[in-house]
Amino acid sequence: MFGYVTINKSELKVRELELYQSYYCGLCRELKDRYGVAGRIGLNYDMNFLLLLLTGLYEPQKEDLGKGCLLHPFEKRPVRRNRYTEYAADMNLLLMYYKCQDDWMDEKKCRSAVYKRLLRKGQRTVKEKYPQKVEEIERALGTLTEYERQKEKDIDKMAELSGNILGTVFVCHEDEWRAELYRMGSYLGRFIYLCDAYEDIEDDIKKGRYNPFLSIYGESFFEDSCKDLMTMMMAECCRTFERLPIITNIEILRNILYSGVWNRYEITKRKRMAEGENRA
Amino acid sequence: MRDPYEVLGVRRDASDDEIKKAYRAASRKYHPDANIDNPKENEDKFKEVQQAYKAIVEERNGGQAYSGQRQGARAESREEDSSHLRAAANYINAGYYREAIHILNEMQERNAQWYYFSALANVGIGNAVLAKQYIDRAAAMEPGNPNYQFLKMQMESGGAWYQSRQQSYGMPELDPTNVCIRLCLINALCNCCCGGRWLCI
Repeated sequence: MFGYVTINKSELKVRELELYQSYYCGLCRELKDRYGVAGRIGLNYDMNFLLLLLTGLYEPQKEDLGKGCLLHPFEKRPVRRNRYTEYAADMNLLLMYYKCQDDWMDEKKCRSAVYKRLLRKGQRTVKEKYPQKVEEIERALGTLTEYERQKEKDIDKMAELSGNILGTVFVCHEDEWRAELYRMGSYLGRFIYLCDAYEDIEDDIKKGRYNPFLSIYGESFFEDSCKDLMTMMMAECCRTFERLPIITNIEILRNILYSGVWNRYEITKRKRMAEGENRA
Repeated sequence: MRDPYEVLGVRRDASDDEIKKAYRAASRKYHPDANIDNPKENEDKFKEVQQAYKAIVEERNGGQAYSGQRQGARAESREEDSSHLRAAANYINAGYYREAIHILNEMQERNAQWYYFSALANVGIGNAVLAKQYIDRAAAMEPGNPNYQFLKMQMESGGAWYQSRQQSYGMPELDPTNVCIRLCLINALCNCCCGGRWLCI
């Protein structure tokens, strides 16, 4: 679920990479400050993307440039924070909490249960800050779980529900940009849902778990169909993105949306092709 | 409302980038945080600027309807089609997509036409994912069929736009040891030093 919305490093300029990293360091620091050591569990680049997006859209005037990093104690390594760092940190913690809950329910991973317990206090704090948002997310998750249990065949329903969770997360203010941000998050969420399913198909079949691609797995058009579908979702996400008046960090954002998001897909696809060749 | 181009101070043939820059300049000027004198006046101005921007975007790009929505593809029955398929086609052409899906789902035999009509009906109710899988199957069963190819292309048209933009960014390098792993390691190390406050300045 995490780790999809990331950069294509080889296509970024050095200063863009440093900027991206400075926001990430800021996110890390914010999580530590607000939620302690446990807060950093599951710190991910997906929320760094959200941070850059909101920063680009709203251009917060105050930005704090702390310095210092464990790995580079003698360098001036900027730790960049603004008002959206707090929001991204809160959403990061929230999503990680639910992921741990999900992993514990699905696969009974002990580690997930432990992490969930550690994040519980943070989740309560975020719930107090954004009660409506958390309620919407919890409702969508509940429905999703129920549909999975029933082995719901309507893939669009599943993808949409999953997408809507990210859509809700993307909306920071109830303002003029609400609709665009929700739509962007919603389609990006659908992309992630489908990409995740594409990655997990073989494992899911082995373990008898639900997967939206079950019905076409093994068909000659399986690969093309999956790729086209995911492309359709990113196309909708990006059409909406390009409508936003963003200039700051635009190249980093485009790097992620047009290229970086395909990282995991490419790795999975090549691995599968290599395995296929070995078997032949 | 005033002419939106006038509000932003741009020419009608300004590029999208110029429009964005003009919005940014105007919104920085009237942003609530930027000005403490005349807050009400600035708030009104700020709203006007936002509305002007949105109006221009709407005019240039149209609405936000799903770009894959079919425009005018009719469900055409063939001579050999069963009565069920014909009924489904009639429903689709009349815009009664759910009724069409209901009939189609009751059928046992599922040939290429079945998948094609199912794709059309699902596009009609916005089930893009299912529609895509159906049209791919129909096209695989009957590769030469121009109707199937046409619908497939229509559904993928948004994707074509996206792919053209992808050209500038390349596909991700396949070496998983990219910066993400490095960032993960940094994170792990930071976690290890018990909050690390004394090491992180």
